[in-house]
Amino acid sequence: MKNSFVELNGRQRAFALVDENSGRELVGPEYDMISPHLEPQKIVPESDDGVILVKGTLNGKNVVVISIEGKFQGGGIGEVSGAKIVAALEEALDDNKNGKTIYPIIILDTGGVRLQEANYGLLSISEIQNSVIALKKYVPVIGLVPGRVGSFGGMSITSAVLSYLITTKKARVALNGPEVIEQEAGVREFDSSDKDLIWNTLGTRQRVKTGIADELVEDDVETIKNAISEAIDQKKDAHRTDKADFYLTLLDKIDFSKPLTTEEYRKIFNETKAEKHEIPSAVSSDTPGDKSRGRLWFEKLTGIKNAKSEYPTVLAAEVDGKEYIAIVPDKNNRFPRVRNGEVGLQEGFVISKIVNKIVEEDKDKEVKRPIILIVDVPSQAYGYKEELIGIHIGLASSAAAYAKARQAGHPVIDFIPGDAVSGGFLAHGLQSNRMIALADKSITIQAMSKASAARITQRTIAELEEATKHVPAMAYDIFNYEKLGALYKLVHDVSSWDANDDAVKEVHELIDEAIASTKDQPTDLRFRYETPIAIESGRKATIKMREMVDDQWEK
Amino acid sequence: MEKLHFEYQNSTPVKKFAHVGVVASGDLEILVYPADGEKTTLDITTGSDGFEKVWQNVLDRFFARYPLNGKFIVHDFGATPGVVNLRLTQAMEALKDEK
Repeated sequence: MKNSFVELNGRQRAFALVDENSGRELVGPEYDMISPHLEPQKIVPESDDGVILVKGTLNGKNVVVISIEGKFQGGGIGEVSGAKIVAALEEALDDNKNGKTIYPIIILDTGGVRLQEANYGLLSISEIQNSVIALKKYVPVIGLVPGRVGSFGGMSITSAVLSYLITTKKARVALNGPEVIEQEAGVREFDSSDKDLIWNTLGTRQRVKTGIADELVEDDVETIKNAISEAIDQKKDAHRTDKADFYLTLLDKIDFSKPLTTEEYRKIFNETKAEKHEIPSAVSSDTPGDKSRGRLWFEKLTGIKNAKSEYPTVLAAEVDGKEYIAIVPDKNNRFPRVRNGEVGLQEGFVISKIVNKIVEEDKDKEVKRPIILIVDVPSQAYGYKEELIGIHIGLASSAAAYAKARQAGHPVIDFIPGDAVSGGFLAHGLQSNRMIALADKSITIQAMSKASAARITQRTIAELEEATKHVPAMAYDIFNYEKLGALYKLVHDVSSWDANDDAVKEVHELIDEAIASTKDQPTDLRFRYETPIAIESGRKATIKMREMVDDQWEK
Repeated sequence: MEKLHFEYQNSTPVKKFAHVGVVASGDLEILVYPADGEKTTLDITTGSDGFEKVWQNVLDRFFARYPLNGKFIVHDFGATPGVVNLRLTQAMEALKDEK
């Protein structure tokens, strides 16, 4: 008889994966470390905030199982649950660095960012990705997506940075859920009531055939344990974020103005052989590009007039020893879903190639080239074909490239004159070690549009707006964002659409200061926990959770 | 969301911590600790407003049978009285487990 794994709750799952009597839970329910952000919104909390950490052995090997409870708030990642995951991964990283091998296993049953803690969710998820990428230098980081929720949103991006992904047929993996695509792009783009369409596109039976998941196993505890154990023993690694040439080749072949069935896509996927793509720098031209805050500041900071590039939505150029990268709108782009400056499939892969090349070129240099991200991204692209192909892999590729660059010692600096939203921000912005933002009312910084967030959390827009008054992480403006403590600097005397000479000079100086501030400093993301605002209020719960996990880790 | 508080005078001391349930739709979690003082206390956070009387009835009936003296924290996401009673019984079983 089979022992279902999917039917177990998050805690039972964590203990089911470790050898009998070897499991020890860290910061368990007895500590009642609830999220401080839910009750102010009249939402019932959970004592473990939906994440269970169990240290133990699997076939005698040291493991730490991180299990996300999909039944609590859809497995959404908030400040406390996110900090719990990051803290465990960082402890595992330290152990491995010190020669004590421990294998992290992450059970993903999650909708991604917990929309009730929006900006905390995004910060936490980027921090999880940073830790996973650092850990992969030592051990494989194995992911399990058992279902029923599956792995969505920012955590699907995380799934793509994991070494190896094991699933059952009861799960789905995608960046944007069908309801959100329908809300953002219309029912003709994706009909969220068409369950067959959803499962055929996002279900893991399709996903293992198209490089999004690696192994489909029966829903049985022993089978799943064996699959994980084997993945660890054989150091399995799909290198999912190192396939930019493959995906750029594949995208060259697809006409985005025509329909594409799941069968047709599988055929294209199987026939595609990676061809090398060169990404030339942006150059000046006679024709102005489509206006955006990102383009304005890219052109002003680099001095490149009417910048154009072979991949029109990605502007990148090296000026005075600094690489500037911006994502910009292109109203005639052949990918309809990125025409307003969204981060789509091509953008993620192109950026990853640019950044990986810089890292490679500077590999033996003592001083690494700074990378300046000009952030103006209204969101990730919402589209059926984007999901079918796996837009989350594209976003993960650029996020991973930025994280690796930072970890290798490159200063990675955000300059935020525009929007910084959701998956777009995770792909282009949230892996930086310093963020400079303009104090401008036009900036939106969030995890999801109000219409979609209201639909998913089953609230009215009025209720949602009420919640933003009580919880700064729920807000959509840069002034509330500052309260989270993640910013290096909020610039009050420069506005987003007015890049005059004085303003440009000031921003240049601030960028140089930010670069200087990274010298001899840690190359991870801890700066965000150490600002005065973070310590005082912004990341209080994060810091507390990190201390508790550290106390209970047992080194 | 509503916060409720109940107190009882019970005789059987809770000696260790126990935890059951998940804050899932139609479910709840119960945390049981040894009592802080003499009284048994229950602090309930529930997503369903206006059911104080129903809680009172379920708890009266449960404690009449099993007079556990402890500190209870309950996070409820719309569990029916039947589910509440089931989880309380499971918590009691968990307290009995020798480990």
